[in-house]
Parts: sequence; structure tokens; C-alpha cells
Amino acid sequence: MALVGAIVLGGLPAGQAMSATDGSLGATSTGTVAISASVPTRARITGLSDVAFTNQDPGTPASSAQDICVWSNTATKAYTITATGSGTASAFTLTNGSGTVPYSVEWSDTSGVTSGTALVAGTASAAQASAATNQVCASGPAASASLVVKLGTADLGTMTGGSSYTGTLTLLVTPQ
Amino acid sequence: MMRYGINPSLTLLLGCIVGCAWPGAASAAEKARITGLADVNFGQIAGTVDRSIGQSLCVYSTSPTGAYAVVASGSGSGGTFALSSGAAELAYDVLWADAPGQSSGTVLSSGTPRSGFTSNASQHFCNSGPSSTATLTIAIRSAELGSARAGSYSGTLQITITPE
Repeated sequence: MALVGAIVLGGLPAGQAMSATDGSLGATSTGTVAISASVPTRARITGLSDVAFTNQDPGTPASSAQDICVWSNTATKAYTITATGSGTASAFTLTNGSGTVPYSVEWSDTSGVTSGTALVAGTASAAQASAATNQVCASGPAASASLVVKLGTADLGTMTGGSSYTGTLTLLVTPQ
Repeated sequence: MMRYGINPSLTLLLGCIVGCAWPGAASAAEKARITGLADVNFGQIAGTVDRSIGQSLCVYSTSPTGAYAVVASGSGSGGTFALSSGAAELAYDVLWADAPGQSSGTVLSSGTPRSGFTSNASQHFCNSGPSSTATLTIAIRSAELGSARAGSYSGTLQITITPE
């Protein structure tokens, strides 16, 4: 003899609440429970590495590209990226304490590339799409975007030799 | 000349009245009942740690030992334990314990009967004796939450209890 209890996990139109019901004594019996859960939109950026241009020849453009993981849990896996530098008014600049030098930032929503769309400091990019299926790309693609930092020869030529220039680049990913 | 004696068939009847089982008499069909189910609402799950909600309920079995088996089926693809939000699914675990107030239990596999549970319910909806006899726990694991698509999820879980 079987007794059947059924648990209903939500599944009803919004506003139509379902209440739990008990089964009855008999060969079969059915009870129901409504269960619901929601997941908010989230994004995550991982796999970032520091960028160092060491002993850079001023006559040669400097470029550093790195593969990173950007994950977005929206239906389209879309996101925007907003980069801010540590210069005045969030400018993309490095400083040695007495002088500054600008650099450029490019972004691509595919990994393994050495150029992308130029970002404007403090301004959200156009919508990007992530191929990541895991928050930290532990499964699926190992990376889902490329970050490219560049220093042009014109700016390299203004830097003081033997002096170290540093700065910080902050990247904000917003799910779309 | 007539002889008075005991008819053999009457002897059998009397014997049965005294103590043996009546040939062909059916025992009462074993039954069970599940009651005390409550709605479960995980609400908005913002983090990525395991989330679980358990509820104590009443399972009654007329089996001489109170034994019963449980089989659960989900509404995910292929009957899996999964909630749905459009095409997206959020898997969950179902755990069963044959004692109330438990924080864990035996992990059930969708569609696979699990035997060996016992109820000490003395009344079919536990309005006397123990007020509950089992714990149903639904757990959503961090690994699932970590890659879950945003949205509102729902699904159906059916539980069948069979006296043993």
C-alpha cells in the first residue's frame, strides 16, 4: 500500500500563493508544499594580475594583455565594465610622485586577444557578454575576457629614466 | 440407529473460533499517511553558502513495525530534484530522517525508493503520541548557487511513502 505526498515547489503565477496540504489516510495520499527561491543578479571578476613594464624602452610601445574571468548570472550573461584609475579624477595615470604619465585600457569580452575596445575612465562600457559558466571559471572556459594596458611611445618618452611609476586600476563589473 | 458425534467441519470452525486464523480471511490492508507538511520559502539567496530548510512532519504506517519506504521525484529535467526559472534550473538535495527535528538525513535520489525508515506515530496524523515522526530537508548547495542564473525558481517534489 502506498501513501503519496507531493511537495510543490512554487510553480504558480505570481500572486497566487499555494498552501501546504496534508495527505489523507488511505492506499495513496497526496500532500503539497509550496517552496520558492530567488537568485539576485550577480557578477564576479577574478584572475587579475598586476601589470609591470620593467626597463621599458621608450622607443617601443608597451602593451600587456591578460586573460581574466568575468562571470554574470543574468539570462544573457551580459555585463558592463567600468574602469577607474588612481590619477586625478580617476584618470588612467601612473605617477612617480613628481610627474604623471597616462596609459590606456582596452577590454574584450573574449580571452586571448591583445587589443579591445578602449575604455574611458569612470564610464561604463557598452554591454559585454560572458561565456563563463562558473563564477571563477573553474569549469567551462578558463577565461572569458581580456584586459589590455598600453603605454605609448609618446608618453614613455616623457618619463624620467630610472624612476618608478605606479598606479592602481580598479575594474567594476555590473551585470546587465 | 443414529450416532451422535462432532462433525469434522464443525470441529474446524470451533477450533478457529478458539484461536486459529480463519481460512481465507484477509488482514487489514497496510496504510500510511503523511501530514504536517509546510510551505518552504528560501527567499532571495544572495550568498553562495549552502542553504537548507527542514521541517518536521508526521508519517504514519500501519505496518506492524511502523516501517516504511520513501520515494521522491522532482520536476526537473528527467524528474531530477531541480527548481526551474524559465529554461534555467537550480538543483537541490532532498534529505529524509525518520525522527523529527533533524538537521540532516538520508540523501534521496529522485525516483529511487529508499527503505528502512520507521515511524513511531501512534495516530495517523500525530494528534496523540509523538507530534511528528520525520524530518524533510531541502538543501540548495553552494556549488549550485555559485553558478545559478538570476531569477525566481520553483518546482515540484512528490514524495511517496510505502508501508513495509
